[in-house]
Amino acid sequence: MTVMAEERELRDDALNGLELSTRLDRIWRTPPGLLGALMSVDHKVVGRRYIVTAFTFLLLGGILAILMRIQLAGPEKTFLSADKYNQIFTMHGSTMMFLFAVPVMEAFAVYLVPLMVGTRSIAFPRLNAFSYWMFLFGGCFLWISFALNVGPDVGWFAYVPLSSLQYTPTKRPDVWAQMITFTEVAALAVAVEIVVTVFKLRAPGMTLDRIPLFVWAMLVTSFLVMFAMPSIMVASTSLILDRLVSTRFYDSSSGGHPLLWQHLFWFFGHPEVYIIFIPGTGMVSAILATFARRPVIGYPVVILSLIATGFLSFGLWVHHMFVTGLPQLGAGLFTASSMLIAVPSGLQIFCWLATLWDGRPVYRTPLLFVVGFIVIFVLGGLSGVMVASVPIDTQVHDTYFVVAHFHYVLIGGAVFPLIGAVYYWFPKITGRMLSERLGRWNFWLAFVGFNVAFFPMHILGLIGMPRRVYTYTPEMDWAHLNLLSSAGAAIFAISFALLLVNVLMSLRAGTLAGDNPWDASTLEWATSSPPPPQNFDRIPVVKHRDPLWLDSASLPVVAGLSVERREVLLTSLAEAEPQIREASPEPSIWPLLTAIATTVFFIGSIFTPWAVLWGTPPMAVTLIGWFWPGGSKEDEQ
Amino acid sequence: MTAAERHPKLLYWAGVALGPLAWGINLQGVYALAHFSCETTKLTGTIMSVALAIVALAGTAISARAVRRGVGAEWADAQGGGPRTFMAWLGVGSGVLFALVIANQLAASLVISPCLR
Repeated sequence: MTVMAEERELRDDALNGLELSTRLDRIWRTPPGLLGALMSVDHKVVGRRYIVTAFTFLLLGGILAILMRIQLAGPEKTFLSADKYNQIFTMHGSTMMFLFAVPVMEAFAVYLVPLMVGTRSIAFPRLNAFSYWMFLFGGCFLWISFALNVGPDVGWFAYVPLSSLQYTPTKRPDVWAQMITFTEVAALAVAVEIVVTVFKLRAPGMTLDRIPLFVWAMLVTSFLVMFAMPSIMVASTSLILDRLVSTRFYDSSSGGHPLLWQHLFWFFGHPEVYIIFIPGTGMVSAILATFARRPVIGYPVVILSLIATGFLSFGLWVHHMFVTGLPQLGAGLFTASSMLIAVPSGLQIFCWLATLWDGRPVYRTPLLFVVGFIVIFVLGGLSGVMVASVPIDTQVHDTYFVVAHFHYVLIGGAVFPLIGAVYYWFPKITGRMLSERLGRWNFWLAFVGFNVAFFPMHILGLIGMPRRVYTYTPEMDWAHLNLLSSAGAAIFAISFALLLVNVLMSLRAGTLAGDNPWDASTLEWATSSPPPPQNFDRIPVVKHRDPLWLDSASLPVVAGLSVERREVLLTSLAEAEPQIREASPEPSIWPLLTAIATTVFFIGSIFTPWAVLWGTPPMAVTLIGWFWPGGSKEDEQ
Repeated sequence: MTAAERHPKLLYWAGVALGPLAWGINLQGVYALAHFSCETTKLTGTIMSVALAIVALAGTAISARAVRRGVGAEWADAQGGGPRTFMAWLGVGSGVLFALVIANQLAASLVISPCLR
């Protein structure tokens, strides 16, 4: 930047109050109209879209679950055919894991992390927009395929040889495999953004040991995504290659190996559980501190647990393969790791319990969901330690015991904190409070419904009911427990309907929230609800782990950022010392166009290998448009 | 200012790095050497696990040395602002935790013969 340009540029230290807010609002606002909406790179706009889309997929996946429970409510029911049931359980698992659980956690991070670290935008905002479009198109691709009776029917982990061309000569496994590619591209993009945002865009003074626990959790999760997801992308792409151009990655008759699939899948699949669970722990820590009215006890221990869990999650994948005939010593080693991961999880739970014990807890709806989480997750953890043991796992493998276990872990460990997080951050995102009365009904229906639905599955598994059967005979004696389970599922579904009603009613007529309705301590509550396009008029300076509890009335700030263009402040990694001002990208239509070109390429490439030839030039064109230097303000200066 | 801050070259992060690294090598190493271990000495896995547990604990020791004057502050003070001390603290915990995991795996390798399929 030249001296002349420097002199001409107006900074935020020259303005105050309404004039500053108005100028920043004009610079950071998403352009009006449909085109403006499609061009938006505002992390809050993208985050809201992500959250709404992920919850839509939750609704769709939940409807499938209800269909399965109707089918299994009694013996020899004919509500669903075997083929439709196969598609439905595959769609349910794939939707919940790839289109809901991971994206919704990343969605909350996209919305909240920049606010919580006190910056004006997420790193790489155009990549963020691209990520959302890829996620949306991947999800639509899967569900449109399902509507056209090409929904995958090989289970959410699509084991070979079942998913090979020989045993499934339709396009169904290809749809599954390519949906993976869509969603993993989206997830990887967000992971990179979160890591860079946390490392380089933190407010001055937010040293590593002042980062909010939710942000730490998302940082660890993002590293997990970056190291785990390439494995499944390699797996799904090589499966498509096996099916389309007759490579032999998984064909043992030609030197390949079916177990390679399982290793690649579960090297991703087990960390995936923690990719879903760790953000939930971050939400729990945030909610717990606010409603216990004190900081979480053992901040370093919680972070140590997050990091240790992240590492250990990569050393457990073989416990999904205990029945494949591995050397017993190998199985023993993975049993050891699997059991020991309970240690960091247990440390966190003790820290949370101590926080509740030592605090002055206020049992509002978000905290109720956190308490529900602790109960359900501990139960899921106990059955997890059981299936980490080779002899027990061998007995209950592929039975409803495992179905019960992972629903306890995933719904208890992720969905309960998530619903708590919805109640907690809804006022910040929308500016309105959710109804507390409906919230309490929501919690108790969810807690009772969940346990009635899933606890009987432990017993069903122990008495021998296998997973993925579309019906059973009356002689099996599974009818009563299945009926009970289906009744619980209905109650659980009603709890979600109540959440939806609460959200819709509160959006129309909820009590106005104000900036910090919970008297919370982290920076997202230092701005208005909902936050303005620029997040903060001036970047806050952090002098304490709980900055708003230190002195919420006079939060110190830094000044000096441009009010003529989008600009963010970069800080150092460990100490968060200010380093440089950097331009932040303007809204652009190119991320959407790139996502469309990538979608055409991805879908084309499950039908013909020539898609590589005709599918990549449009992507190249859109990427050139995306990165073309001309015309943007940051490049002119 | 803590000892760690005054001496930024101290390997305060050693435990964070060495613990998981030692555990990863142990997990893959003992598994990969199962056949060799079966055919030659059955103590291969044991020796490897003991050595790597020591490596993890060495990480703890290095981190503890870097942090020794800052530990109390991190525990007693919720203010934060000492990232090196904080990382050293994580290193102390991480080294111990992963040494514990390695010890658990060592127990497995002592109980289970590498020749068992």
